[in-house]
Amino acid sequence: MKLETQGANLIISEIIELTAVNSATFRNEVEAALGGSPSMIEIDLSQTRFMDSSGLGALFALYRATAQRENVSLRLLDPTPEIQQLLELTQMQQLFEIVRR
Amino acid sequence: MKALLICPSKRPAIPHLSESGPLATIPILGESLIGHWIEHLVSLGATQIRVVTVDEKEHVAASVGNGARWGVSISIASSSGQPTRMEAAKEFRPKDESDWLPEPHDVVVMSHLPGFSELPLFESYATWYVALSAWMPRALTPTRVRVVEKQPGIWVGSRARVSQKAKLVSPCWVGDQVAVGPGAVIGPGSILEDRSVVGAKATVRESWIGPDTCVGPMTSVASSLAWGSRLIDWRNDSSLQVPDPFLLGSLVAPAFAATKDRFGRPLGAPEPSRAQNPLIAAMHTPLAQSSNLKPSG
Repeated sequence: MKLETQGANLIISEIIELTAVNSATFRNEVEAALGGSPSMIEIDLSQTRFMDSSGLGALFALYRATAQRENVSLRLLDPTPEIQQLLELTQMQQLFEIVRR
Repeated sequence: MKALLICPSKRPAIPHLSESGPLATIPILGESLIGHWIEHLVSLGATQIRVVTVDEKEHVAASVGNGARWGVSISIASSSGQPTRMEAAKEFRPKDESDWLPEPHDVVVMSHLPGFSELPLFESYATWYVALSAWMPRALTPTRVRVVEKQPGIWVGSRARVSQKAKLVSPCWVGDQVAVGPGAVIGPGSILEDRSVVGAKATVRESWIGPDTCVGPMTSVASSLAWGSRLIDWRNDSSLQVPDPFLLGSLVAPAFAATKDRFGRPLGAPEPSRAQNPLIAAMHTPLAQSSNLKPSG
C-alpha cells in the first residue's frame, strides 16, 4: 500500500488486497495520515483484487472518520469490477463517491 | 413416438454455469433444462426419448432416470462432441426406424427452452438471464403442483415461507421451500430457485438466485446470477467469489465450486456442511451487527 500527499489531497494506492490480514494496518496508517488535515482522500482501488468484510469494515471506518470532520471528502477511484460487485452487494456504493477516471 | 434430445456441451462464455454439472441438468425455475424438454416432448406425444450427452453421462442419467417420472422410456447415448442436428440425426436416428415426432421436434438441441428458439440460453450470462425471465410465465405447467401464481406475475412455491413483511414485485418466481425474510424485496425480474434463502431487508432485482443459496440480510443483488458464493454480473460478465458467507453463500456443498484460491493455489478444504455453515447462524443477524463491519472507535 502506498500513501502520498499531493497538496491537500491524500492518495492511497497500490492496494492489492484489503482483508482481515491488513485491514487494521490500513486503518491505522490512513487515520494517522488524517492528522495532516487533507481536504480530499482518494482511495485507488484499481489494483485491488480481493476484499472481504474486514476490508469493507476498514473502508466504512474511514467513511465514519471523515464524516465526523468538516471539509473532508472521501472517494473511491476506479474499483475493479469484482470490488464494484462487492460494494453493490453490501450497498456500500451508496456511501461513497465512486469515480472512474 | 420417438424423439432425440441433444445435450449442450460446456460453453466457454458461461464457464460458471457448468461447474456443478452438465448444462442439461442445470435448474431452471425448479426443473432441470432436460426436464423441461422431456415434459415438452411428452406433451407432443413422445413415448421414447433418446438422449445424447456430450459429457458427464452418469450425471444426466441420474437426473432423468428411466423416464418413468414422465411416463416415457429414456435411453442415453454418448457423443465425443456436441453434434449438430443433422449429425445427430445421421448417427442416432436410424433411417429404417419409423414413428418419430414430426420435424423439428424429432431431433432437438437443448440450446434454448421449448418454444423459445429466438432466446438462446448459453451465448452469455445475459442471454441466460433474459431467456429465464421470458420463461417465467411458461414454467408453471399443469404438472407443476408445488408452485402457484399468487398474483399476476408472482409465482410462489407452496412450501415457500415468505414473511408477511416481505414485498414481492411482479414478475418474480419464488421456488419451492424458499425462505424470504421480513423487509426483503424480491423483483421485478427475480427468480429464486428451490431451497434458496433471502435474509431480512435484502433486495433481489433482475437476478437469478440458484438453488440452496443464501442471500444475506441487508444485501442487494441486482442484475446478477448468484449460486453458492459465486456472484456474476450478467451485464458485464464480471464474476466474484464472495468470501463472507453471511453476505452470500451456499447452504450445501458448493455449486459454483472454486477450485483455486485467490492466489491460484488448489483448494483442498471442503466447504462447511449445512449444519456447520455460519450462514445459517447469520441468517437472522442484521449485517450491521457483524463485528467485522463495525468501525473502530
